Amino acid sequence: MTDAHRYAMLLSALPYHGPLFSAKQTPLSRIRLNQRLALLEPEDFACLQTLGELQDWARQDLDQTDTQAVARANRLVPTIAHPFARNLVIWRLELRTLVAALRRRRRGDAAPNDNRWGFGRWVAQIRRHWHEPGFRLEGAFPWLPEANRLLALEDAVGLERLLLGTVWNRLERLSDGHYFDFEAVVIYVTRWDLIARWTGYRGEAAVQRFDELVAAGMTPIALDPITEP
Amino acid sequence: MNEFVIALGWAGLYGAMALAAIGSIIGCAVAGQAAIGAMVDTDSGYGRYIGVSVMPSSQVIYGIVVMFTLQRDVTPENAPALFGIGILCGLALMFSAMRQGQACASAIHASKTKPEIFGLSLAPAAIVEGFAVFAFVFALVLAGNIPG
Repeated sequence: MTDAHRYAMLLSALPYHGPLFSAKQTPLSRIRLNQRLALLEPEDFACLQTLGELQDWARQDLDQTDTQAVARANRLVPTIAHPFARNLVIWRLELRTLVAALRRRRRGDAAPNDNRWGFGRWVAQIRRHWHEPGFRLEGAFPWLPEANRLLALEDAVGLERLLLGTVWNRLERLSDGHYFDFEAVVIYVTRWDLIARWTGYRGEAAVQRFDELVAAGMTPIALDPITEP
Repeated sequence: MNEFVIALGWAGLYGAMALAAIGSIIGCAVAGQAAIGAMVDTDSGYGRYIGVSVMPSSQVIYGIVVMFTLQRDVTPENAPALFGIGILCGLALMFSAMRQGQACASAIHASKTKPEIFGLSLAPAAIVEGFAVFAFVFALVLAGNIPG
């Protein structure tokens, strides 16, 4: 079996996901996805697990400091043996570092004193150009000015849409030439996570809206005490 | 020297079939795995997935026919011709089977999501098959001109 086709069965067993922003739900449940991923070779499965530990927000310890999070990332990233997966996770962590810098600056924070607050190649550059809108990185990250603008408008949904779209488009470019190999599996699982997040937001918004409607509907009702005839 | 040339002749004689068989093994395995995966994800159309996945098996049949067509007493005079035709035809059949398997796997993967493109998605695999037929037919034509 050629290496480029080692996961022909697995990938054919995964349903097509369609475009990100028109998805109403994930193409298959998390349980089903994990069942299918059991077909992966153990080392590839472990690689995917590490990828999830670094990328999934649900698996992040929210009590840890930025320094601890960066140290954890610096410890885990080199353990990813597959170059494609390692480069993808580095790119995503660098993207999150940029967004974190935008948010910190928006909050009024001064430029960080050291490089332990973020991950990747751009940390020092961001510090040096803290007060410039795109940290002089607009060439490498064309979405930065738009993200900065959306942040200034406090358009959280628009910003999230922009960031998810950026990751989705990046995956689209990376998927060229990968149809039945491990790279294709990584791309599929990352896209599944993006769809889960986007559709999850909609679910949370729906629950919130439902609660608001229930609260609004219940407020004016004043039940008269039942009196016995 | 003659022994080496005769050995090459035998390699060409059997190589046509052996190389084609290697290609068919790889091609059918790739397409077959895609077919099994598609069956896991769908509730119907199993037969056509399996049908498409065996397309790369035709190359080994072509290889067998070429082998029997080339079969004769191997002599220093005809051994180079047997080697050239047998090995090159075998390589063409091997690569066509491997690539056809990949084309079939993609066709299965795509038609699983959009059943209406099933026929059209097989066009690349059919074109690859056409090239294998070229290699096969012209090997037969040239085999008729080999002395002995």
